[in-house]
Amino acid sequence: MVDNLLFLAAPITICILLAGILSYFGNHILSRGIIFIDIAVAQIAALGTMIGLLAGFAEESLNVQMISYLFTIIIISLFALTKFRKQLISQEVIIGIIYCIGLGLAMLLAERIPGGSNFISKTITGNLLWVTWDKVLECLVIFLIVGVIHLVFRKPFILISDAKNGLPYSLWRTRMYELLFYVTFSVVIVKAVPAGGIFLVFTLLIAPTAAATLFTSSWKKRFIWSWIIGVLGSVLGIYLSYKLNISNAPAIVTLLGLTVFVLAFGKLAAKKIFKPDYKQADL
Amino acid sequence: MISGINFMLAPFAASLLLIIITVYFGIHVIEREIIFIDIALAQIAALGSAVSLVINQLSAGRHSTEHSHDSRTVMAYLFCLVAAAVFTLLKNRRIRIPMEAIIGIAYAVATTSTVIILDKGAGSDVHIHDMLAGNILWVTWHQILRLLAVILVIGLFHYFFRNKFKAVTLLYRDRETVITRPGLWDFLFYLTFGIVIVEAVNIVGILTIFAFLIIPSSVSALFATRWTSRILVGLLVGGLSAILGLYLSWVMDVPCSPTIILFLAVSLIISVMLRVVIKHVRVSGK
Repeated sequence: MVDNLLFLAAPITICILLAGILSYFGNHILSRGIIFIDIAVAQIAALGTMIGLLAGFAEESLNVQMISYLFTIIIISLFALTKFRKQLISQEVIIGIIYCIGLGLAMLLAERIPGGSNFISKTITGNLLWVTWDKVLECLVIFLIVGVIHLVFRKPFILISDAKNGLPYSLWRTRMYELLFYVTFSVVIVKAVPAGGIFLVFTLLIAPTAAATLFTSSWKKRFIWSWIIGVLGSVLGIYLSYKLNISNAPAIVTLLGLTVFVLAFGKLAAKKIFKPDYKQADL
Repeated sequence: MISGINFMLAPFAASLLLIIITVYFGIHVIEREIIFIDIALAQIAALGSAVSLVINQLSAGRHSTEHSHDSRTVMAYLFCLVAAAVFTLLKNRRIRIPMEAIIGIAYAVATTSTVIILDKGAGSDVHIHDMLAGNILWVTWHQILRLLAVILVIGLFHYFFRNKFKAVTLLYRDRETVITRPGLWDFLFYLTFGIVIVEAVNIVGILTIFAFLIIPSSVSALFATRWTSRILVGLLVGGLSAILGLYLSWVMDVPCSPTIILFLAVSLIISVMLRVVIKHVRVSGK
Protein backbone atom coordinates (compact mmCIF):
# COMPACT_ATOMS: atom_id res chain seq x y z
CA MET A 1 0.00 0.00 0.00
CA VAL A 2 2.75 2.46 1.00
CA ASP A 3 4.71 1.56 -2.14
CA ASN A 4 1.65 2.20 -4.22
CA LEU A 5 1.15 5.54 -2.57
CA LEU A 6 4.74 6.52 -3.30
CA PHE A 7 4.25 5.43 -6.89
CA LEU A 8 1.13 7.57 -7.15
CA ALA A 9 2.66 10.58 -5.39
CA ALA A 10 4.01 12.25 -8.54
CA PRO A 11 0.81 11.72 -10.58
CA ILE A 12 -1.30 13.06 -7.74
CA THR A 13 0.95 16.11 -7.34
CA ILE A 14 0.85 16.93 -11.05
CA CYS A 15 -2.93 16.47 -11.03
CA ILE A 16 -3.30 18.94 -8.18
CA LEU A 17 -1.04 21.42 -9.99
CA LEU A 18 -3.03 20.99 -13.21
CA ALA A 19 -6.34 21.31 -11.38
CA GLY A 20 -5.07 24.51 -9.73
CA ILE A 21 -4.07 26.36 -12.87
CA LEU A 22 -6.68 24.90 -15.24
CA SER A 23 -9.67 25.48 -12.96
CA TYR A 24 -8.57 29.11 -12.74
CA PHE A 25 -8.32 29.49 -16.52
CA GLY A 26 -11.60 27.60 -16.91
CA ASN A 27 -13.57 30.43 -15.29
CA HIS A 28 -12.32 32.84 -17.96
CA ILE A 29 -12.84 30.32 -20.75
CA LEU A 30 -16.41 29.61 -19.68
CA SER A 31 -17.30 33.29 -19.30
CA ARG A 32 -15.91 34.02 -22.75
CA GLY A 33 -17.73 31.03 -24.26
CA ILE A 34 -14.61 29.74 -26.03
CA ILE A 35 -14.95 26.24 -24.65
CA PHE A 36 -12.85 24.29 -27.11
CA ILE A 37 -9.84 26.61 -27.24
CA ASP A 38 -7.50 24.16 -25.51
CA ILE A 39 -8.20 21.41 -28.04
CA ALA A 40 -7.41 23.87 -30.85
CA VAL A 41 -4.20 24.99 -29.11
CA ALA A 42 -3.10 21.38 -28.57
CA GLN A 43 -3.78 20.62 -32.24
CA ILE A 44 -1.74 23.63 -33.37
CA ALA A 45 1.13 22.58 -31.08
CA ALA A 46 1.07 19.06 -32.55
CA LEU A 47 1.13 20.56 -36.04
CA GLY A 48 4.12 22.69 -35.00
CA THR A 49 5.94 19.56 -33.83
CA MET A 50 5.27 17.90 -37.17
CA ILE A 51 6.62 20.92 -39.05
CA GLY A 52 9.75 20.75 -36.91
CA LEU A 53 10.16 17.05 -37.74
CA LEU A 54 9.68 17.77 -41.44
CA ALA A 55 12.44 20.40 -41.20
CA GLY A 56 14.73 17.53 -40.28
CA PHE A 57 15.20 17.94 -36.53
CA ALA A 58 15.14 14.95 -34.18
CA GLU A 59 12.01 14.14 -32.19
CA GLU A 60 11.93 15.73 -28.71
CA SER A 61 14.97 17.87 -29.54
CA LEU A 62 15.05 21.46 -28.33
CA ASN A 63 14.68 22.74 -31.89
CA VAL A 64 11.41 20.91 -32.45
CA GLN A 65 10.04 22.18 -29.14
CA MET A 66 11.01 25.75 -29.98
CA ILE A 67 9.42 25.52 -33.44
CA SER A 68 6.27 24.08 -31.89
CA TYR A 69 6.09 26.89 -29.30
CA LEU A 70 6.79 29.58 -31.87
CA PHE A 71 4.17 28.24 -34.26
CA THR A 72 1.55 28.01 -31.50
CA ILE A 73 2.24 31.55 -30.30
CA ILE A 74 2.00 32.96 -33.83
CA ILE A 75 -1.38 31.30 -34.44
CA ILE A 76 -2.76 32.25 -31.04
CA SER A 77 -1.62 35.88 -31.55
CA LEU A 78 -3.56 35.93 -34.81
CA PHE A 79 -6.54 34.58 -32.87
CA ALA A 80 -6.22 37.37 -30.28
CA LEU A 81 -6.44 39.87 -33.14
CA THR A 82 -9.84 38.51 -34.20
CA LYS A 83 -11.43 40.34 -31.28
CA PHE A 84 -13.60 43.08 -32.74
CA ARG A 85 -15.96 45.69 -31.43
CA LYS A 86 -18.83 43.98 -33.22
CA GLN A 87 -18.24 40.26 -33.60
CA LEU A 88 -19.56 39.10 -37.00
CA ILE A 89 -18.30 35.55 -36.51
CA SER A 90 -18.06 34.52 -32.86
CA GLN A 91 -14.68 33.50 -31.49
CA GLU A 92 -15.80 29.94 -30.78
CA VAL A 93 -16.49 29.55 -34.51
CA ILE A 94 -12.99 30.81 -35.29
CA ILE A 95 -11.62 28.25 -32.82
CA GLY A 96 -13.56 25.52 -34.62
CA ILE A 97 -12.14 26.64 -37.95
CA ILE A 98 -8.57 26.78 -36.59
CA TYR A 99 -8.95 23.28 -35.12
CA CYS A 100 -10.40 21.92 -38.33
CA ILE A 101 -7.70 23.37 -40.60
CA GLY A 102 -4.97 22.38 -38.13
CA LEU A 103 -6.15 18.78 -38.06
CA GLY A 104 -6.57 18.71 -41.85
CA LEU A 105 -3.00 19.96 -42.37
CA ALA A 106 -1.71 17.48 -39.79
CA MET A 107 -3.38 14.66 -41.71
CA LEU A 108 -1.73 15.81 -44.95
CA LEU A 109 1.69 16.08 -43.28
CA ALA A 110 1.28 12.76 -41.48
CA GLU A 111 1.75 11.02 -44.81
CA ARG A 112 5.25 12.46 -45.18
CA ILE A 113 6.52 11.50 -41.71
CA PRO A 114 7.13 7.87 -40.74
CA GLY A 115 4.66 7.00 -38.01
CA GLY A 116 3.12 10.43 -38.50
CA SER A 117 -0.43 9.47 -37.65
CA ASN A 118 0.81 8.75 -34.11
CA PHE A 119 1.10 12.49 -33.60
CA ILE A 120 -2.60 12.82 -34.24
CA SER A 121 -3.73 10.23 -31.70
CA LYS A 122 -0.81 10.62 -29.25
CA THR A 123 -2.24 13.67 -27.54
CA ILE A 124 -5.53 11.98 -26.78
CA THR A 125 -4.50 9.85 -23.83
CA GLY A 126 -1.42 11.38 -22.17
CA ASN A 127 0.57 9.44 -19.60
CA LEU A 128 -0.10 10.61 -16.09
CA LEU A 129 1.54 7.61 -14.44
CA TRP A 130 4.96 8.16 -16.00
CA VAL A 131 5.33 11.76 -14.85
CA THR A 132 8.72 12.35 -13.21
CA TRP A 133 9.48 14.73 -10.35
CA ASP A 134 11.61 16.83 -12.73
CA LYS A 135 8.56 17.34 -14.88
CA VAL A 136 6.47 18.23 -11.81
CA LEU A 137 9.02 20.86 -10.79
CA GLU A 138 9.13 22.29 -14.31
CA CYS A 139 5.33 22.59 -14.37
CA LEU A 140 5.30 24.17 -10.91
CA VAL A 141 7.76 26.90 -11.95
CA ILE A 142 5.93 27.70 -15.21
CA PHE A 143 2.50 27.69 -13.56
CA LEU A 144 3.79 29.97 -10.79
CA ILE A 145 5.11 32.49 -13.32
CA VAL A 146 1.83 32.43 -15.25
CA GLY A 147 -0.08 32.69 -11.98
CA VAL A 148 1.82 35.82 -10.92
CA ILE A 149 1.21 37.46 -14.32
CA HIS A 150 -2.49 36.75 -13.95
CA LEU A 151 -2.54 38.06 -10.39
CA VAL A 152 -1.07 41.35 -11.61
CA PHE A 153 -3.47 41.69 -14.55
CA ARG A 154 -6.51 40.13 -12.87
CA LYS A 155 -8.69 43.21 -13.24
CA PRO A 156 -8.49 43.75 -17.02
CA PHE A 157 -8.72 40.00 -17.66
CA ILE A 158 -11.94 39.70 -15.66
CA LEU A 159 -13.39 42.86 -17.23
CA ILE A 160 -12.75 41.53 -20.75
CA SER A 161 -14.15 38.09 -19.89
CA ASP A 162 -17.28 39.69 -18.48
CA ALA A 163 -17.94 41.99 -21.43
CA LYS A 164 -20.70 40.41 -23.48
CA ASN A 165 -21.12 43.22 -25.99
CA GLY A 166 -18.55 45.87 -26.78
CA LEU A 167 -15.12 46.22 -25.22
CA PRO A 168 -14.14 47.65 -21.83
CA TYR A 169 -11.01 49.33 -23.23
CA SER A 170 -9.98 50.76 -26.59
CA LEU A 171 -9.70 48.15 -29.35
CA TRP A 172 -5.91 47.83 -29.38
CA ARG A 173 -5.51 47.97 -25.63
CA THR A 174 -8.01 45.11 -25.34
CA ARG A 175 -6.15 43.17 -27.98
CA MET A 176 -2.87 43.58 -26.09
CA TYR A 177 -4.45 42.16 -22.92
CA GLU A 178 -5.93 39.38 -25.02
CA LEU A 179 -2.49 38.61 -26.44
CA LEU A 180 -1.03 38.29 -22.95
CA PHE A 181 -3.94 36.13 -21.82
CA TYR A 182 -3.79 33.72 -24.75
CA VAL A 183 0.01 33.43 -24.81
CA THR A 184 0.12 32.48 -21.12
CA PHE A 185 -2.80 30.13 -21.68
CA SER A 186 -1.05 28.41 -24.60
CA VAL A 187 2.14 27.96 -22.56
CA VAL A 188 0.12 26.20 -19.85
CA ILE A 189 -1.77 24.01 -22.35
CA VAL A 190 1.37 22.99 -24.25
CA LYS A 191 2.94 21.96 -20.92
CA ALA A 192 -0.19 20.25 -19.57
CA VAL A 193 -1.34 18.18 -22.55
CA PRO A 194 1.66 15.79 -22.80
CA ALA A 195 1.30 15.05 -19.08
CA GLY A 196 -2.45 14.64 -18.70
CA GLY A 197 -3.75 14.14 -22.21
CA ILE A 198 -6.13 16.41 -24.03
CA PHE A 199 -9.33 15.16 -22.39
CA LEU A 200 -8.09 15.50 -18.83
CA VAL A 201 -6.95 19.05 -19.58
CA PHE A 202 -10.26 19.85 -21.24
CA THR A 203 -12.30 18.45 -18.37
CA LEU A 204 -10.24 20.15 -15.66
CA LEU A 205 -10.78 23.42 -17.53
CA ILE A 206 -14.51 23.20 -18.04
CA ALA A 207 -16.11 20.82 -15.53
CA PRO A 208 -15.14 22.40 -12.15
CA THR A 209 -16.06 25.90 -13.27
CA ALA A 210 -19.30 24.66 -14.85
CA ALA A 211 -20.26 23.03 -11.56
CA ALA A 212 -19.43 26.23 -9.66
CA THR A 213 -21.24 28.47 -12.16
CA LEU A 214 -24.44 26.49 -11.60
CA PHE A 215 -24.67 27.91 -8.11
CA THR A 216 -22.88 31.24 -8.04
CA SER A 217 -21.95 34.03 -10.41
CA SER A 218 -19.40 35.90 -8.30
CA TRP A 219 -15.85 35.48 -9.62
CA LYS A 220 -14.30 34.97 -6.20
CA LYS A 221 -16.70 32.19 -5.22
CA ARG A 222 -16.35 30.56 -8.63
CA PHE A 223 -12.55 30.51 -8.29
CA ILE A 224 -12.68 28.99 -4.83
CA TRP A 225 -15.33 26.38 -5.63
CA SER A 226 -13.77 25.34 -8.92
CA TRP A 227 -10.44 24.85 -7.15
CA ILE A 228 -12.06 22.69 -4.50
CA ILE A 229 -14.03 20.64 -7.04
CA GLY A 230 -11.07 20.27 -9.39
CA VAL A 231 -8.61 19.10 -6.74
CA LEU A 232 -11.12 16.82 -5.00
CA GLY A 233 -12.21 15.32 -8.32
CA SER A 234 -8.62 14.61 -9.38
CA VAL A 235 -7.64 12.94 -6.11
CA LEU A 236 -10.86 10.92 -5.91
CA GLY A 237 -10.52 9.95 -9.58
CA ILE A 238 -7.00 8.63 -9.10
CA TYR A 239 -8.12 6.72 -6.01
CA LEU A 240 -11.06 5.19 -7.94
CA SER A 241 -8.88 4.26 -10.90
CA TYR A 242 -6.48 2.53 -8.49
CA LYS A 243 -9.33 0.66 -6.77
CA LEU A 244 -11.20 -0.33 -9.94
CA ASN A 245 -8.07 -0.91 -12.02
CA ILE A 246 -8.91 1.43 -14.90
CA SER A 247 -6.72 4.12 -16.46
CA ASN A 248 -6.55 7.22 -14.30
CA ALA A 249 -7.08 10.14 -16.68
CA PRO A 250 -10.34 8.64 -18.06
CA ALA A 251 -11.47 7.96 -14.49
CA ILE A 252 -11.02 11.62 -13.48
CA VAL A 253 -12.72 12.84 -16.65
CA THR A 254 -15.74 10.58 -16.21
CA LEU A 255 -16.06 11.42 -12.51
CA LEU A 256 -15.86 15.21 -12.96
CA GLY A 257 -18.04 15.19 -16.08
CA LEU A 258 -20.80 13.11 -14.54
CA THR A 259 -20.68 15.31 -11.43
CA VAL A 260 -21.64 18.32 -13.56
CA PHE A 261 -24.59 16.49 -15.14
CA VAL A 262 -25.79 15.20 -11.77
CA LEU A 263 -25.54 18.68 -10.22
CA ALA A 264 -27.32 20.30 -13.17
CA PHE A 265 -30.21 17.83 -13.10
CA GLY A 266 -30.26 18.03 -9.32
CA LYS A 267 -30.67 21.78 -9.55
CA LEU A 268 -33.52 21.47 -12.05
CA ALA A 269 -35.27 18.85 -9.92
CA ALA A 270 -34.79 20.82 -6.70
CA LYS A 271 -36.31 23.94 -8.26
CA LYS A 272 -39.29 21.88 -9.46
CA ILE A 273 -39.95 20.57 -5.98
CA PHE A 274 -39.66 23.97 -4.35
CA LYS A 275 -41.59 25.77 -7.06
CA PRO A 276 -44.93 25.87 -5.14
CA ASP A 277 -43.18 27.66 -2.29
CA TYR A 278 -41.92 30.31 -4.65
CA LYS A 279 -45.41 30.93 -5.94
CA GLN A 280 -46.77 31.29 -2.44
CA ALA A 281 -43.97 33.66 -1.56
CA ASP A 282 -44.82 35.72 -4.62
CA LEU A 283 -48.45 35.92 -3.63
CA MET B 1 -9.86 9.15 -67.78
CA ILE B 2 -13.42 7.93 -68.28
CA SER B 3 -13.01 5.23 -65.63
CA GLY B 4 -11.52 7.87 -63.37
CA ILE B 5 -14.60 10.03 -63.77
CA ASN B 6 -16.82 7.05 -63.10
CA PHE B 7 -14.80 6.30 -60.01
CA MET B 8 -15.14 9.85 -58.74
CA LEU B 9 -18.85 10.13 -59.52
CA ALA B 10 -20.04 8.48 -56.30
CA PRO B 11 -17.83 10.63 -54.00
CA PHE B 12 -19.01 13.74 -55.87
CA ALA B 13 -22.63 12.80 -55.41
CA ALA B 14 -22.12 11.96 -51.76
CA SER B 15 -20.34 15.20 -50.92
CA LEU B 16 -22.89 17.33 -52.76
CA LEU B 17 -25.73 15.60 -50.90
CA LEU B 18 -23.95 16.11 -47.59
CA ILE B 19 -23.28 19.77 -48.31
CA ILE B 20 -26.96 20.44 -48.97
CA ILE B 21 -27.99 19.26 -45.53
CA THR B 22 -24.92 20.44 -43.56
CA VAL B 23 -25.09 24.00 -44.90
CA TYR B 24 -28.63 24.24 -43.55
CA PHE B 25 -27.78 22.69 -40.19
CA GLY B 26 -24.57 24.73 -40.06
CA ILE B 27 -26.50 27.99 -39.87
CA HIS B 28 -28.49 26.65 -36.92
CA VAL B 29 -25.30 25.44 -35.25
CA ILE B 30 -23.52 28.76 -35.65
CA GLU B 31 -26.52 30.82 -34.59
CA ARG B 32 -26.89 28.69 -31.46
CA GLU B 33 -23.14 28.74 -30.77
CA ILE B 34 -22.98 24.98 -30.35
CA ILE B 35 -20.04 24.60 -32.72
CA PHE B 36 -18.71 21.25 -31.56
CA ILE B 37 -22.11 19.53 -31.32
CA ASP B 38 -21.41 17.24 -34.29
CA ILE B 39 -18.17 15.93 -32.84
CA ALA B 40 -19.92 15.31 -29.52
CA LEU B 41 -22.91 13.53 -31.10
CA ALA B 42 -20.61 11.40 -33.27
CA GLN B 43 -18.65 10.42 -30.19
CA ILE B 44 -21.82 9.62 -28.24
CA ALA B 45 -22.97 7.40 -31.12
CA ALA B 46 -19.56 5.71 -31.07
CA LEU B 47 -19.98 5.11 -27.34
CA GLY B 48 -23.31 3.47 -28.15
CA SER B 49 -21.77 1.08 -30.64
CA ALA B 50 -18.93 0.34 -28.21
CA VAL B 51 -21.47 -0.54 -25.53
CA SER B 52 -23.35 -2.86 -27.87
CA LEU B 53 -20.04 -4.45 -28.91
CA VAL B 54 -19.24 -5.25 -25.29
CA ILE B 55 -22.78 -6.51 -24.61
CA ASN B 56 -22.52 -8.82 -27.60
CA GLN B 57 -19.17 -10.15 -26.42
CA LEU B 58 -20.42 -10.63 -22.86
CA SER B 59 -23.52 -12.53 -23.91
CA ALA B 60 -20.99 -14.76 -25.71
CA GLY B 61 -23.51 -15.58 -28.38
CA ARG B 62 -22.19 -16.39 -31.82
CA HIS B 63 -24.30 -13.80 -33.56
CA SER B 64 -23.86 -13.39 -37.25
CA THR B 65 -21.96 -10.23 -38.18
CA GLU B 66 -25.10 -8.86 -39.88
CA HIS B 67 -27.03 -9.02 -36.66
CA SER B 68 -24.32 -7.45 -34.51
CA HIS B 69 -23.97 -4.63 -37.04
CA ASP B 70 -27.69 -3.95 -36.74
CA SER B 71 -27.63 -3.92 -32.97
CA ARG B 72 -24.67 -1.51 -33.05
CA THR B 73 -26.61 0.94 -35.23
CA VAL B 74 -29.66 0.68 -33.01
CA MET B 75 -27.58 1.29 -29.90
CA ALA B 76 -25.85 4.27 -31.54
CA TYR B 77 -29.23 5.85 -32.30
CA LEU B 78 -30.47 5.08 -28.81
CA PHE B 79 -27.53 6.96 -27.31
CA CYS B 80 -28.19 9.89 -29.66
CA LEU B 81 -31.79 9.94 -28.46
CA VAL B 82 -30.70 10.11 -24.83
CA ALA B 83 -28.18 12.84 -25.64
CA ALA B 84 -30.88 14.84 -27.44
CA ALA B 85 -33.11 14.57 -24.36
CA VAL B 86 -30.28 15.63 -22.02
CA PHE B 87 -29.34 18.65 -24.14
CA THR B 88 -32.98 19.71 -24.38
CA LEU B 89 -33.57 19.42 -20.64
CA LEU B 90 -30.42 21.33 -19.77
CA LYS B 91 -31.35 24.21 -22.09
CA ASN B 92 -32.86 26.12 -19.24
CA ARG B 93 -32.54 29.63 -17.94
CA ARG B 94 -31.70 28.31 -14.50
CA ILE B 95 -28.67 26.41 -15.83
CA ARG B 96 -26.33 29.31 -16.29
CA ILE B 97 -23.62 27.37 -18.14
CA PRO B 98 -23.40 27.96 -21.91
CA MET B 99 -24.73 25.04 -23.98
CA GLU B 100 -21.35 24.62 -25.63
CA ALA B 101 -19.81 23.77 -22.24
CA ILE B 102 -22.41 21.07 -21.61
CA ILE B 103 -21.72 19.67 -25.08
CA GLY B 104 -18.00 19.75 -24.39
CA ILE B 105 -18.35 17.84 -21.13
CA ALA B 106 -20.61 15.29 -22.82
CA TYR B 107 -17.96 14.90 -25.50
CA ALA B 108 -15.14 14.36 -23.01
CA VAL B 109 -17.14 11.89 -20.93
CA ALA B 110 -18.28 9.97 -24.03
CA THR B 111 -14.75 9.71 -25.41
CA THR B 112 -13.13 8.59 -22.20
CA SER B 113 -15.91 6.11 -21.43
CA THR B 114 -15.39 4.65 -24.89
CA VAL B 115 -11.69 4.30 -24.09
CA ILE B 116 -12.48 2.66 -20.73
CA ILE B 117 -14.96 0.26 -22.36
CA LEU B 118 -12.78 -0.60 -25.34
CA ASP B 119 -9.81 -1.12 -23.03
CA LYS B 120 -11.18 -4.63 -22.68
CA GLY B 121 -11.27 -4.90 -26.47
CA ALA B 122 -8.50 -4.12 -28.94
CA GLY B 123 -7.50 -1.66 -31.64
CA SER B 124 -9.33 1.28 -30.16
CA ASP B 125 -6.96 3.97 -31.43
CA VAL B 126 -7.28 2.64 -34.97
CA HIS B 127 -11.01 3.08 -34.58
CA ILE B 128 -10.55 6.67 -33.36
CA HIS B 129 -8.37 7.50 -36.35
CA ASP B 130 -10.83 5.94 -38.81
CA MET B 131 -13.64 7.94 -37.32
CA LEU B 132 -11.70 11.18 -37.65
CA ALA B 133 -10.62 10.81 -41.22
CA GLY B 134 -13.15 8.57 -42.92
CA ASN B 135 -12.84 7.87 -46.59
CA ILE B 136 -15.28 9.28 -49.05
CA LEU B 137 -13.56 7.54 -51.97
CA TRP B 138 -14.96 4.16 -50.93
CA VAL B 139 -18.56 5.29 -50.74
CA THR B 140 -20.95 2.89 -52.51
CA TRP B 141 -24.12 3.77 -54.43
CA HIS B 142 -26.05 1.79 -51.88
CA GLN B 143 -24.79 4.10 -49.12
CA ILE B 144 -25.61 7.15 -51.22
CA LEU B 145 -29.18 5.95 -51.74
CA ARG B 146 -29.58 5.46 -48.01
CA LEU B 147 -28.12 8.90 -47.36
CA LEU B 148 -30.48 10.41 -49.94
CA ALA B 149 -33.47 8.83 -48.22
CA VAL B 150 -32.40 10.10 -44.78
CA ILE B 151 -31.69 13.60 -46.10
CA LEU B 152 -34.99 13.76 -47.98
CA VAL B 153 -37.05 12.76 -44.96
CA ILE B 154 -35.24 15.03 -42.51
CA GLY B 155 -34.91 17.87 -45.01
CA LEU B 156 -38.64 17.87 -45.80
CA PHE B 157 -39.46 17.69 -42.10
CA HIS B 158 -37.28 20.72 -41.43
CA TYR B 159 -38.69 22.52 -44.46
CA PHE B 160 -42.29 22.11 -43.32
CA PHE B 161 -41.56 23.18 -39.77
CA ARG B 162 -38.84 25.69 -40.65
CA ASN B 163 -40.47 28.48 -38.67
CA LYS B 164 -40.54 26.39 -35.50
CA PHE B 165 -36.88 25.44 -35.79
CA LYS B 166 -35.85 29.03 -36.56
CA ALA B 167 -37.81 30.24 -33.55
CA VAL B 168 -36.05 27.79 -31.23
CA THR B 169 -32.68 28.89 -32.58
CA LEU B 170 -33.62 32.51 -31.91
CA LEU B 171 -34.37 31.52 -28.31
CA TYR B 172 -30.71 30.53 -27.96
CA ARG B 173 -29.76 34.12 -28.66
CA ASP B 174 -32.12 35.35 -25.93
CA ARG B 175 -34.37 37.01 -28.49
CA GLU B 176 -38.09 37.28 -28.02
CA THR B 177 -39.96 34.72 -30.10
CA VAL B 178 -43.42 33.31 -30.02
CA ILE B 179 -43.31 29.54 -29.92
CA THR B 180 -45.38 26.95 -28.14
CA ARG B 181 -43.60 23.96 -26.65
CA PRO B 182 -40.02 25.03 -27.46
CA GLY B 183 -38.68 21.96 -25.65
CA LEU B 184 -40.32 19.58 -28.12
CA TRP B 185 -38.87 21.37 -31.15
CA ASP B 186 -35.46 21.62 -29.53
CA PHE B 187 -35.53 17.87 -28.88
CA LEU B 188 -36.58 17.16 -32.48
CA PHE B 189 -33.76 19.40 -33.70
CA TYR B 190 -31.09 17.52 -31.77
CA LEU B 191 -32.59 14.16 -32.71
CA THR B 192 -32.75 14.80 -36.47
CA PHE B 193 -29.33 16.41 -36.36
CA GLY B 194 -27.96 13.36 -34.56
CA ILE B 195 -29.37 11.03 -37.21
CA VAL B 196 -27.77 13.06 -40.01
CA ILE B 197 -24.43 13.13 -38.20
CA VAL B 198 -24.39 9.38 -37.55
CA GLU B 199 -25.21 8.63 -41.20
CA ALA B 200 -22.73 11.19 -42.50
CA VAL B 201 -19.83 10.25 -40.23
CA ASN B 202 -20.04 6.66 -41.46
CA ILE B 203 -19.31 7.94 -44.95
CA VAL B 204 -16.87 10.84 -44.71
CA GLY B 205 -15.58 10.97 -41.12
CA ILE B 206 -16.09 13.60 -38.44
CA LEU B 207 -13.56 16.14 -39.65
CA THR B 208 -15.05 16.68 -43.10
CA ILE B 209 -18.55 16.97 -41.66
CA PHE B 210 -17.28 19.45 -39.11
CA ALA B 211 -15.73 21.55 -41.89
CA PHE B 212 -18.88 21.32 -44.04
CA LEU B 213 -20.99 22.45 -41.10
CA ILE B 214 -19.10 25.50 -39.94
CA ILE B 215 -17.01 26.94 -42.78
CA PRO B 216 -19.71 27.52 -45.47
CA SER B 217 -22.12 29.04 -42.98
CA SER B 218 -19.37 31.24 -41.49
CA VAL B 219 -18.64 32.53 -44.99
CA SER B 220 -22.33 33.19 -45.53
CA ALA B 221 -22.53 35.09 -42.21
CA LEU B 222 -20.02 37.56 -43.66
CA PHE B 223 -22.26 38.51 -46.56
CA ALA B 224 -25.88 37.81 -45.70
CA THR B 225 -28.31 37.73 -42.82
CA ARG B 226 -31.42 36.20 -44.42
CA TRP B 227 -31.64 32.41 -44.18
CA THR B 228 -32.35 31.78 -47.86
CA SER B 229 -29.41 33.85 -49.07
CA ARG B 230 -27.15 32.35 -46.41
CA ILE B 231 -28.04 28.85 -47.58
CA LEU B 232 -27.37 29.81 -51.20
CA VAL B 233 -23.97 31.37 -50.42
CA GLY B 234 -23.07 28.34 -48.30
CA LEU B 235 -24.07 25.92 -51.05
CA LEU B 236 -21.97 27.82 -53.58
CA VAL B 237 -18.87 27.87 -51.36
CA GLY B 238 -19.26 24.29 -50.15
CA GLY B 239 -20.04 22.83 -53.55
CA LEU B 240 -17.14 24.57 -55.27
CA SER B 241 -14.67 23.54 -52.56
CA ALA B 242 -15.84 19.93 -52.64
CA ILE B 243 -15.54 19.67 -56.42
CA LEU B 244 -12.13 21.38 -56.56
CA GLY B 245 -10.86 19.43 -53.54
CA LEU B 246 -11.93 16.04 -54.89
CA TYR B 247 -10.51 16.83 -58.33
CA LEU B 248 -7.18 18.03 -56.97
CA SER B 249 -6.83 15.13 -54.54
CA TRP B 250 -7.39 12.77 -57.48
CA VAL B 251 -4.91 14.52 -59.78
CA MET B 252 -2.20 14.99 -57.12
CA ASP B 253 -2.85 11.72 -55.31
CA VAL B 254 -3.29 13.19 -51.81
CA PRO B 255 -5.99 12.27 -49.26
CA CYS B 256 -9.26 13.95 -50.22
CA SER B 257 -10.88 15.16 -47.00
CA PRO B 258 -7.91 17.34 -45.94
CA THR B 259 -7.79 18.75 -49.48
CA ILE B 260 -11.48 19.67 -49.38
CA ILE B 261 -10.94 21.29 -45.99
CA LEU B 262 -8.02 23.32 -47.34
CA PHE B 263 -10.18 24.57 -50.20
CA LEU B 264 -12.88 25.56 -47.72
CA ALA B 265 -10.23 27.38 -45.69
CA VAL B 266 -8.98 29.20 -48.78
CA SER B 267 -12.51 30.27 -49.70
CA LEU B 268 -12.98 31.58 -46.16
CA ILE B 269 -9.80 33.64 -46.36
CA ILE B 270 -10.79 35.04 -49.77
CA SER B 271 -14.24 35.91 -48.39
CA VAL B 272 -12.80 37.72 -45.39
CA MET B 273 -10.57 39.79 -47.70
CA LEU B 274 -13.50 40.46 -50.03
CA ARG B 275 -15.56 41.61 -47.08
CA VAL B 276 -12.83 44.03 -45.96
CA VAL B 277 -12.58 45.42 -49.51
CA ILE B 278 -16.36 45.86 -49.76
CA LYS B 279 -16.42 47.68 -46.43
CA HIS B 280 -13.65 50.05 -47.51
CA VAL B 281 -15.34 50.75 -50.83
CA ARG B 282 -18.58 51.53 -49.05
CA VAL B 283 -16.90 53.80 -46.51
CA SER B 284 -14.96 55.72 -49.15
CA GLY B 285 -18.08 55.82 -51.34
CA LYS B 286 -19.91 57.67 -48.64
